[in-house]
Amino acid sequence: MANYEALRHLTIGQYIPTGSLIHRLDPRAKLVALGCFIVASVLAGKYANALLLLLLTVALVKLSRLHLRSMLATLTPVIPILLVMALLQLIFYGGASRSGGLNRLLVDWGPLHISGESVRVIVVTWARFATLFLLVTLLTSTTTASALTRGLEGVLRPLTRLRLPGHEIAMVGTIALRFLPILGEQLEAILQAQASRGVSETSSRWRFLDNARRMARMVVPLFVDAYHRAEELILAMQARCYHGGKGRTYLVSFTYRFSDYLAVALGALLVILVGVLQYSALP
Amino acid sequence: MNEEIVSERRYSGAEYCALVQGLHHTYLAGTPLAATALSGAELRLRRGEIAALIGPSGAGKSTLVHFLNGLLRPTDKGRVIVFGQDTGEPSCDLTTLRRRVGLVFQYPHQQLFERYVGDDVAYGPRQLGLAGEELRERVRWAMEVVGLDFDSFVDRHTFSLSGGEMRRAALAGVLAMLPHLLVLDEATTGLDPRGRREVHALLRRLRDETGLTILLVSNDMDEVAELADHVTVLYEGRTVLAGEVHEVFAQRELLQRYGVACPAAGEIVSALREQGLPIAPGAITLAEAEEAIWQTMRP
Repeated sequence: MANYEALRHLTIGQYIPTGSLIHRLDPRAKLVALGCFIVASVLAGKYANALLLLLLTVALVKLSRLHLRSMLATLTPVIPILLVMALLQLIFYGGASRSGGLNRLLVDWGPLHISGESVRVIVVTWARFATLFLLVTLLTSTTTASALTRGLEGVLRPLTRLRLPGHEIAMVGTIALRFLPILGEQLEAILQAQASRGVSETSSRWRFLDNARRMARMVVPLFVDAYHRAEELILAMQARCYHGGKGRTYLVSFTYRFSDYLAVALGALLVILVGVLQYSALP
Repeated sequence: MNEEIVSERRYSGAEYCALVQGLHHTYLAGTPLAATALSGAELRLRRGEIAALIGPSGAGKSTLVHFLNGLLRPTDKGRVIVFGQDTGEPSCDLTTLRRRVGLVFQYPHQQLFERYVGDDVAYGPRQLGLAGEELRERVRWAMEVVGLDFDSFVDRHTFSLSGGEMRRAALAGVLAMLPHLLVLDEATTGLDPRGRREVHALLRRLRDETGLTILLVSNDMDEVAELADHVTVLYEGRTVLAGEVHEVFAQRELLQRYGVACPAAGEIVSALREQGLPIAPGAITLAEAEEAIWQTMRP
């Protein structure tokens, strides 16, 4: 039986209020801290570093009182891709030095060279992927769309000097995020409607041509609907006299509190820590 | 229509073609977004009747309807038996079930997926193995019966249709599969008054001529009073009232408590009665109200 509800497990972009400390952070501080985390995560290339970041992220999820498990459940469909990627890296990465240590060759059989190095790359990639995914989900589930726009706008403000439309970029980004769960629900409704009309759901994972046809039947109504929604959104924004960021004032003004400074400071510290660890002698 | 189908539809069997007992359902159970949609829903559909499912928005009407063709299946509490099949059983044959239960969705654009109207209507029958002239005739029949002219609409792009035309096309696509039970989830909203009258007449004709069982999910009480034999009222996921249409609409105070209005004709009659006019209660359609008022005016 196909579970049409599965699509709603798409947690990116869905705000889930729990009133935690992370929910109450200033969106600008949250974005800056997130930026630091991402930089740290890209820097981290060692086991210790990557796992440290992953653990910290999980701790943050716990702190936000969100469900770690339902967040991770969203990742299930990506696992096959990750596996294929891991396999390719395992076989082709190479990079072994015959000197021993972590880089020693584990398997050397014909054209196949599996080194400690390629195992490391795989583990680090997976950890990095999970970290980034959790962080982005964390951001969107603890921040309302409007707060996120304001946050982005605040972060991009310095760039308006360079004639970069900060407000507009922020708006576009937020709308895109906001649409993700809506599209998910939409897709679910389409699949249900099609199943009701006898669209078969027993097609095998490996019948690509069938799947491509099924995909077209799903994607076409989804696009049509998305365009309709976009048009309606434009009308609604115009009807409420939206004219971009210039001269716009806000109902709520944000002020930094201690916890916000703390978040930014911790983020910066994390980057330094990871940087130091990365270039130190640790494995 | 085909004699065979008619007789199969009227095949001897239980009195009810669908039975829902004590059904509970929670969306996204076990996640922070869990929402209870049904908590003790009951529904009985007699063969060959037009039944209505009413209730305020968010009462769980659409959710309940999704159980009837196996889009949702009872996991937690409750039983759903449709045409003798218990959909809670893992062995339930969903393909047969979905052929028998035609579901017309609330938003027609979600239901249309082929490029041309003709192809979309033909989709279901094609799945049933129809081809060639037989298929063409079936599509022609389904389109004409909902009031879409076959020759002028068959090659139109699905997404260039107007709202009302989309509704008709969606309905045609479901009717083309010759379902035994037709479920319309607010399928007449968005139609103009004439279109609505046409669809009403069509539903009556289908029921009378072919023995089709119809379940209407509707917020239009005049429509319900006009068409339905039996009414089920859903409130916060529970069935709070069910019975013959006149019986249900006689309970005005109760219905009001559940956020359901009475048909306009019924309201007029009770307003007149409150003014002291000796009109017989119980009218729910315009024709009945007219008759009741006429009776009091006659010497």
